[in-house]
Amino acid sequence: MNINKSNLLLLHPLNKWMKKKKWSWFPHQIETFWHVQSGSDVVVFAPTGAGKTLTGFINPIDDLIKLKKFKGLHTLYISPLKSLANDIVRNLEKPIKELDLNISFQVRTGDTTPYKKQKQKQKPPNILITTPESLALLNSYENAKEFFHNLKYIIIDEIHTFLDNKRADLLSLNIERLQTFSPNLQRIGLSATLKNKQDAKKWLCRKKPKIVSYENSVLPKIKILESKERIPWSGHMATYSINEIYKEIMKSKLTIIFVNTRAQAEYMFKNLWLINKKKLKIAVHHGSLEKNLRLKVENNLSKGLVDCVVATSSLELGLDYGDVEKIIQVGAPKGINRLLQRVGRSNHNLNTPSKAILVPTNRFEFIEAKAAIEEIKKNNLDKIDLKEGSFDVVAQHIFATACAGQFNINDLYKEIIKAYPYKKLKLNDFKQLINLIQDGGYVLKNYDQFKRIFQLRENKNIYKLVNKRETRKYRMNVGTIIENPMLKIKLGTKTLGNIEEVFIQNLSQGDSFIFAGQVLEFQSMKNNLVQVKRSKSLISKIPSYSGGRMPLSTNLANSVRALLAKSNMWDLYPEQITEWLKRQKNISKIPKKNEYLVEQFPRKKNFYTVIYTFAGWHANQTLGFLLLRGFKEFNYKPLGFVANDYAIVLWSLKEVKEIKTILNLGLLDKHLDNYLEETSIVKRLFRDNAIISCLIERRLPGMEKTGKQVLFSSDLIYTVLKKNEPNHILLKSSYEDAKKNMIDYDRLREILKKIDKKIILKKLTCISPLAVPIILEINKENLSKKETDEYILEDLENEILKEANVLSIN
Amino acid sequence: MYYQLINFGNEEFYAYPNKSLYWKRLNTLIVSDLHIGKSISYAKNKQFLPPYDTKEILNKIFVSLDKIKPSNLIIVGDLLHDVFSTLSFKDQDHKSLSQYMKNTDFIWIKGNHDKNIHIEGFKNFKNYKIDKFLFTHIPIETSLFQICGHYHPKVKISHRGKTIFKTTFVHNGKIFILPSFGILTGGLDINSKQISNVLGKKNLSIYPVGQDKVYKL
Repeated sequence: MNINKSNLLLLHPLNKWMKKKKWSWFPHQIETFWHVQSGSDVVVFAPTGAGKTLTGFINPIDDLIKLKKFKGLHTLYISPLKSLANDIVRNLEKPIKELDLNISFQVRTGDTTPYKKQKQKQKPPNILITTPESLALLNSYENAKEFFHNLKYIIIDEIHTFLDNKRADLLSLNIERLQTFSPNLQRIGLSATLKNKQDAKKWLCRKKPKIVSYENSVLPKIKILESKERIPWSGHMATYSINEIYKEIMKSKLTIIFVNTRAQAEYMFKNLWLINKKKLKIAVHHGSLEKNLRLKVENNLSKGLVDCVVATSSLELGLDYGDVEKIIQVGAPKGINRLLQRVGRSNHNLNTPSKAILVPTNRFEFIEAKAAIEEIKKNNLDKIDLKEGSFDVVAQHIFATACAGQFNINDLYKEIIKAYPYKKLKLNDFKQLINLIQDGGYVLKNYDQFKRIFQLRENKNIYKLVNKRETRKYRMNVGTIIENPMLKIKLGTKTLGNIEEVFIQNLSQGDSFIFAGQVLEFQSMKNNLVQVKRSKSLISKIPSYSGGRMPLSTNLANSVRALLAKSNMWDLYPEQITEWLKRQKNISKIPKKNEYLVEQFPRKKNFYTVIYTFAGWHANQTLGFLLLRGFKEFNYKPLGFVANDYAIVLWSLKEVKEIKTILNLGLLDKHLDNYLEETSIVKRLFRDNAIISCLIERRLPGMEKTGKQVLFSSDLIYTVLKKNEPNHILLKSSYEDAKKNMIDYDRLREILKKIDKKIILKKLTCISPLAVPIILEINKENLSKKETDEYILEDLENEILKEANVLSIN
Repeated sequence: MYYQLINFGNEEFYAYPNKSLYWKRLNTLIVSDLHIGKSISYAKNKQFLPPYDTKEILNKIFVSLDKIKPSNLIIVGDLLHDVFSTLSFKDQDHKSLSQYMKNTDFIWIKGNHDKNIHIEGFKNFKNYKIDKFLFTHIPIETSLFQICGHYHPKVKISHRGKTIFKTTFVHNGKIFILPSFGILTGGLDINSKQISNVLGKKNLSIYPVGQDKVYKL
């Protein structure tokens, strides 16, 4: 529509305030206002610093002022983080107070006191700022309908973080519920720039869907650390560059160092302190640290009281730390979007470019860093793949619905399939989920007298909760985020944070490890508390948190391949990298953009096969296992494999002759089920499914049951179910989750579909330069859990027999 | 069937990977802590575990009886999880049980879970003495050798940087604790207070149960 919209906001209640601040409206703010006023649901794409939060509130504030003394809830604002929700309140407070507008607003999260929550229910504010989980809870109350029936707007902040996970599924279902309560509800989504904007629109918008987009013309300045040191072949800790990183910190007022895992964060932090001669104020921030420690770091950061913070993705989203001058990314960027998000944490000002330095920790990462910089110059972002919604989330939603009162299953089904992730949900699957909530949904009917929800006799389509006590159980189990079993770490009486139980189990008394930047000595574990003391030892195990392994994005992988093949660029690289690639070219080959290089060579009595797929860690791990099976079939006697983001290496006793026959789509179809069976992937996901669907209860603080026991009992359920009812909906759900999230099924399928014509096979007499990094990663056998257990027992028994000088009788 | 030979109280016992113990000299099979009907008991609290435990445990027992054809079957407690457990018995289960009882004496020692429950055909005992052996759910003060259950022992094994938990047979020369024969039952570390109060910490003979084999540590 080509009308002049520039004057639209001149009469807006906030215009006076904007003028006073000498600010003017952004074009995307004006456009959003126009579309929403015309009745559209809108997704707004804009970079940080472009007044995104305000954009969401323009229409609600205008409407509230026009309506005069509107009573009840008018606008709901959904934030992905609690801390962000508090920040929004602070930002909203300024204009509303300064202009003395008659608008009430409050925050409601897991941290809100029960008293305040109760008051909010009796007398709701005009604007409520909350999280997806708190929204789900609100919808489970009996008076939800009255509470929301006048709702005019729902604003979803940082919608790009909500598109491809179970939290998104939960949110999508609850938005549809709100729409049922209040049919006139309009939706506004706020997002960072995305490649597939249309997908975000489809996910959120229903009424005259519109996209508003504002691109930043100032590109960030990103370069790779120029190091005089040798970039290592392999590894992820960047020890080689620590002095140069320290110099970079000294040069800037305030630096954030981003790393990819919590272990890296602890390691980097410790190493910086070891060389901290200038006594710079350096802090560490990651998701396992105690909340108060984290808040302290965040506070110091926003007040500029530190010189540097080492952080994981825990600092990626959210608060505006205006004074951050420089970002250092240590380790591979893994994806363009992720890198941009991190880089955007510096200089929250639209007109000055953000500054960032990339520190590759090994040679492949150097190429990856280069490729990422190229793609950012071209503004070629990663696509976010929308996925079909998970079953377990629907089950939880059914339970929530029952808590709010009796319901008709046909109405519920119709409502659910309006949510984008569940467009294709089959009625039959839905009914099985109803049964799951009713009594576990088993074929063998043993629980008729113990049902949780039941059908009314007079109308079989209407279900009702059996008693009120169950609502409490739902409320204890709400949400889709399942943490690994964690234990609290206590130094004296002070809590430092949470650490994975699995990690602690591998420690003996006196072992030391780094946590919260300190070397600690493990003393004892009692009542789920890990007691530690400060250690003087410098040798330490590092927490091996299982989280944080992000696979390389397809987009960036393609760019890495393209860059590798461009030999005219090599001379611009550091000499060691150039040398490495040139030698590879002479000895073997550099694969072209569409080729899949396979190298084979003998080494130490074994035969090695290296396949360069650039498919990301998940897909490569899966492929490695499938090939192991394939090799077994051809009797090549495979011994093991190792995968990373770029390649897979397998070693076998015999020469692998038929690689082209084995490496194709048939491999996936034939062995995938076995793979899922033998690794504990599905079993682990089953635990999440069982908890999210409320089949078993979640561990809560103060409960006797430890996380380990929940894990254990869900394993038992899995085994029994697998044997007796392999078609149970939760098993199906776990398989689907595995395919979607853990094994990169679609990506692997895409590659294998066309791989046979693109394989370049190189038979070598020894290891090639390109293969060195992955060969160096070989350090552990990749046996399935079952095999590993037996192996440990057998080995231990043999050792003891040897010690006792007794030969095995068999 | 593969077994591990265990010497206890100067007698030879066979420990099977299905978590049963066999006393060859007296042709007696011993099991413990079956917790039949645990699923139904949980269902009362709306925790819907798969309702197949009764069927599976009975089958496991029947398979053993078919193979070994023991004269006696001693259950050292917690055959049933609670009073609701028998709800999960089907008619066929009762029939099969009475069939097996024709050739094997079923000796049911009561545990804390099934103290006051009665099933037709079963002989109930508080504990049961054979020679210098006492079969009891929870060990008592006595000079006899005791074979008992109750604790569902598991052992934590750390080896070459890996840690695993395994169900285990365990004894200290005087007291023998059987693992749980059930399928939805968890376990307790043999280093836990509850177990070390009974067995002590030293001179334990530990026999972890693997996939098809019972090991000896």
